[in-house]
Amino acid sequence: MNDDPFINRRPTEIEDQAHVQAVRHFAEHLKQFPISRGAISQLEGDLSKTALAANMAASRPVSPGNSIQTDDGAQWHKSVDLFDHLFVCHRSTPTGTEYAVVEHFPANGRNEIWTRGHNAVEVLKRFTHDQRQALQVWTEDTAAQVKEFLAEKYPGQDMSRVADAFIHKLTTQEVSQQQTITHGHQQKHGYGMGV
Amino acid sequence: MDTIPKTEEPPPPTSTPPRERLAYSVQEAADMLGVNYFSVYRLIQRGKLKVCRALRGKLLVPREELLKLLRTE
Repeated sequence: MNDDPFINRRPTEIEDQAHVQAVRHFAEHLKQFPISRGAISQLEGDLSKTALAANMAASRPVSPGNSIQTDDGAQWHKSVDLFDHLFVCHRSTPTGTEYAVVEHFPANGRNEIWTRGHNAVEVLKRFTHDQRQALQVWTEDTAAQVKEFLAEKYPGQDMSRVADAFIHKLTTQEVSQQQTITHGHQQKHGYGMGV
Repeated sequence: MDTIPKTEEPPPPTSTPPRERLAYSVQEAADMLGVNYFSVYRLIQRGKLKVCRALRGKLLVPREELLKLLRTE
């Protein structure tokens, strides 16, 4: 079944115009959302491979340039680059190797731990689960913003189909050709999701 | 008796200074932090960045929360 409301009944002229305006106004969302969603899907698909890479990195001698300190003062070693500024890290503890997904924030130089644990697969699973929830927050916020935008532009008119069509486009749109090229280029350093 | 000459009052400002905004949209917050939108939504989802909602449910990031996030402890 197709959820696009414009599939079942063609948009009116004013709905069409409103949709074009919304697409133009929220172009950056339409650009960034598919890239982020694609990066998560790719990580989900490569989860075992990524966990294995983290395990192997943990079994090798640590290289000094690969160390980072997280906000709790713990010292970690980068194992795998996930996306820009996001890494799988590992460290030795008395109870065995611990893994974590750590994000570096260039704005304040801090390194934030997202998920941690002694099983790399579980750490990554929890991380991707959280990412799916964050995408949901993004979708809901964009829907609210689009509704607000349409209510201001077309006061008193029912633009619910336009808002629904926009969200359908946001959540189902594939990464554009140009973005795919950029994405592929960035993959040299990870999964290519710009942060 | 000498009278103290009145000092002239400074002229009233012609324009009021711009007010600091109290909150920003997620996009504005992302631009200010120099990260992409998803990073901000991740912070919100994890409760690392506290937000409030406008009437239609749009998320707003209070200025103070952004400053808190930027403060290095």
